[in-house]
Amino acid sequence: MSENILEIKDLVVHYETDDGCVKAINGLTFSVGKEKTLGLVGETGAGKTTTALSILNLVPNPPGVIKGGSIELDGKDVLQMTDKELEHMRGNDVAMIFQDPMTALNPVLTVGEQIAESIMLHEHIPMKDAFERAKEMLKMVGIAESRAYDYPHQFSGGMRQRVVIAIALACQPNFLIADEPTTALDVTIQAQVLDLMKDLINKNHMSMLLITHDLGVVAEVCNDVAVMYAGRIVEIGTTDEVFNATRHPYTEGLFDSLPNLKEQGEELVPIKGMMPDPMRLPEGCTFAPRCPYATEACTQTVPELRKVGGTHFVACHAYDDPSFRLRRNANG
Amino acid sequence: MMSEKKTVSVENLNEYKGRSLAQETWRRFLKNKGAVVGMIFMVLLLVLACAGDLLYDYNAEIINMNIPEASLAPSLEHLFGTDQLGRDVFARVVYGTRYSLIIGVGSVAVGLIVGLITGSLAGFYGGMWDQLVMRSNDILYSIPNIMLAVVIVQVLGTSIISLVIALSISSATSFAKITRAAVMTIQGQEYVESAYAMGLPTWKIILKHIIPNCLSPIIVQVTLAIGSNIIAASSLSFLGVGVPIPTPEWGTMLSDGRQFIVSEPWMCVFPGLAIMLTVLALNLMGDGLRDALDPKLKR
Amino acid sequence: MAEKKIILEVQNLTKYFDTPKGKLHAVDGVNFQIEEGKTLGIVGESGCGKSTTGRTLLKLLEPTAGTILFNGEDITHYSRAKMRKMRTQMQMIFQDPFSSLDPRQSIMQLISEPIKEHKLLKSKAEIEKRTLELMDTVGLARRFVNSYPHELDGGRRQRIGIARALAVNPKLIVCDEPVSALDVSIQAQILNLLKQLQRDMGLTYIFITHDLSVVKYFADDIAVMYLGQMVEKAPSKEIFEKPTHPYTQALLSAIPIPVVGKDKPPRKLLRGEITSPVNLPDQCRFLKRCDACQQCCQEGANPQLVEISPNHFVACHIAK
Repeated sequence: MSENILEIKDLVVHYETDDGCVKAINGLTFSVGKEKTLGLVGETGAGKTTTALSILNLVPNPPGVIKGGSIELDGKDVLQMTDKELEHMRGNDVAMIFQDPMTALNPVLTVGEQIAESIMLHEHIPMKDAFERAKEMLKMVGIAESRAYDYPHQFSGGMRQRVVIAIALACQPNFLIADEPTTALDVTIQAQVLDLMKDLINKNHMSMLLITHDLGVVAEVCNDVAVMYAGRIVEIGTTDEVFNATRHPYTEGLFDSLPNLKEQGEELVPIKGMMPDPMRLPEGCTFAPRCPYATEACTQTVPELRKVGGTHFVACHAYDDPSFRLRRNANG
Repeated sequence: MMSEKKTVSVENLNEYKGRSLAQETWRRFLKNKGAVVGMIFMVLLLVLACAGDLLYDYNAEIINMNIPEASLAPSLEHLFGTDQLGRDVFARVVYGTRYSLIIGVGSVAVGLIVGLITGSLAGFYGGMWDQLVMRSNDILYSIPNIMLAVVIVQVLGTSIISLVIALSISSATSFAKITRAAVMTIQGQEYVESAYAMGLPTWKIILKHIIPNCLSPIIVQVTLAIGSNIIAASSLSFLGVGVPIPTPEWGTMLSDGRQFIVSEPWMCVFPGLAIMLTVLALNLMGDGLRDALDPKLKR
Repeated sequence: MAEKKIILEVQNLTKYFDTPKGKLHAVDGVNFQIEEGKTLGIVGESGCGKSTTGRTLLKLLEPTAGTILFNGEDITHYSRAKMRKMRTQMQMIFQDPFSSLDPRQSIMQLISEPIKEHKLLKSKAEIEKRTLELMDTVGLARRFVNSYPHELDGGRRQRIGIARALAVNPKLIVCDEPVSALDVSIQAQILNLLKQLQRDMGLTYIFITHDLSVVKYFADDIAVMYLGQMVEKAPSKEIFEKPTHPYTQALLSAIPIPVVGKDKPPRKLLRGEITSPVNLPDQCRFLKRCDACQQCCQEGANPQLVEISPNHFVACHIAK
């Protein structure tokens, strides 16, 4: 299977704490195609960040335990790698961008040094050459070369996130994991950073897993989208399929909750209830207690992903009935 | 399952009783074995301190010389042996508990009151108050504690009261620092602003919202300070400026026994052990409290 | 229809902070008025002074200059004690449901605190009854009455914040980013709740947010702020249909729209970032980031709000 850069199969990750077992990821399966960008969408507690950490085999242990499944990166299983292989993989093949650009940077080194350090580590070239490369990287993300000698606190939030991107891309990884990269930024700055990321991904023929809670960002940047709920994928497909032919009731709920699609005065249709406590997940479909379409069958077994169109999969029992349509689709 | 419970009459609020914060803290405290051991030891000491007079007669057994039985090694009759004047070391160590506790607790209590008031003034009002309190604190900080205490005891005369006053000064400075920092952090929290928006007067906000929330670092510091003040008191007694002889204070006993440390080591080993165990117990308790009071550890 | 009643009027509201680097223009001469029962949305990016505006008009911060008229009453120079009585009429909902509730108080204590403080009810039984009713109003199950904030999730905590604000039967509520810390599905629940409360109780809201899409759903009028000043103010519909100030246009186009494959207007990217609000010159504050900037902008003074069509105000040299 060489058309996918990342393949996750049946991944299970639990956090075993004093108070009980937090079931963060419960049988996660999805893949990211080469030179594609997949948006992983979900709310707080859906297990998005744990997914990202699992891919780098960085789940804090204890309390986190990877209970099963496989994560294949370019054909190699990350969970079977030795420490040395993992070290080589992180940075060289895969890089990660975090939500908070301030904590990701070292406050006592200049940004040029930080970028150069990462280049030196992976390419074994002398500091002087690495620093020159670092300046080029800064130019690439739209920061003047002269600012390579400045410290992180001298940059604004958006600029810092650009620096973080420069560090991530310094070793030319072919896969990038971005965990809520623009959530801490203002809208106008978010637009700039997203534009930059999109541009760089295309130029360098990279693939990306973009983790976000914002469907708007997904529409802007991604080719494919996977919707995550309580540690499982509930719907996955191209953005066109998921946005324009939504199949899962939870995805529908997310769209209905968004105020920006509404006209003034129109009522929002929120999803009732709250995310389930990951220590006490409901039996059967985890979304069933909040689902307006739920039936008896939904509380019995966990629905499997089923194919509903080209590359479009959904995990919902309602489609046992071939005539089932979501309200959103029924109205056209 | 839950739905049945919900329809039950709602007027009785106790139905919804969850674990209160205090209960939750207590539960976490009990999970820490070291802290529980420390607490049991301290309770025991407290009982001994109160019961000292019931067990022993001060004049006959604690300070009365009994030369024929001088310098006996520990035996069943004298568990900790006797000192050079024939007094039972066990009785004196047990009786001495009260002095160490009075000095430790008393000096911390005085220091706490002074520190809380000056610290919260400095933290809450800032500006001139802050300068005044913190700069005088800095001055006191720059003088070694023991030296300051020696001077104060010399001026006021050797007695337990002057010892308490001397030790409370150094405690007050550290309590003032902690309180000031805690008040400043909590003052920046939105719930204090929310209380203003609600229309609460300033004094109520300090009393109801700020002080309860900065108590946890202070409670921890209290247990640790009692321990260090007991040690300081013992050091002062050891230097001869503490509690006057023949009072069976642990530090004084230690100082007395040091001439015989080679021939009759029990005279200083047992009071020394008493000091050590008490301070250890207080530290264990303090550590346990710190963990139990930390809201970040809540799930 | 009854005559429109202006509940709050703010004239030339100004708040400067003294910093080591100089004068920080947090709020710089803001004017607006708001009718009873309406919602004014104040929108802007971080550092534009929108939160300071909200806090200053509630007198949680002392204004440097300007006048605040509440129901025709000039409250600008009211003392703390005098303001305390006004608090039953003007309330605030805070952004962060985690830091805005005292962690050592139970839900009962939190919600009943304002009732007790203002002596709205006397007997303990009455206060408890009212607290439970308030919990019903904001959709908080009564079984949480003895819980503590840390036991609840963000959405429920925000409901407590709303119940606290409602407890004194206020007329005006300043909502400072009430949903920005919440997940989308919970966000919609809270927005619907706020809207329903407004309908039921005739509340007036000042809704402060960085998210234009939220105010589009919510507000009657929208004011866009940039570096302490209002750059555009108009009825909500007008702002979205005819954004006139270049900054408003950029702000609107920067919102990522969750639509794929359909017609989307081309994005207009702003260059640069928000400048520091310290020691500002008398010049258009958007100058350095503006595409439309012309000679007159470079030379002209700081533009003031001008009415370009009924109720549509813009502060820009070019937009006329």
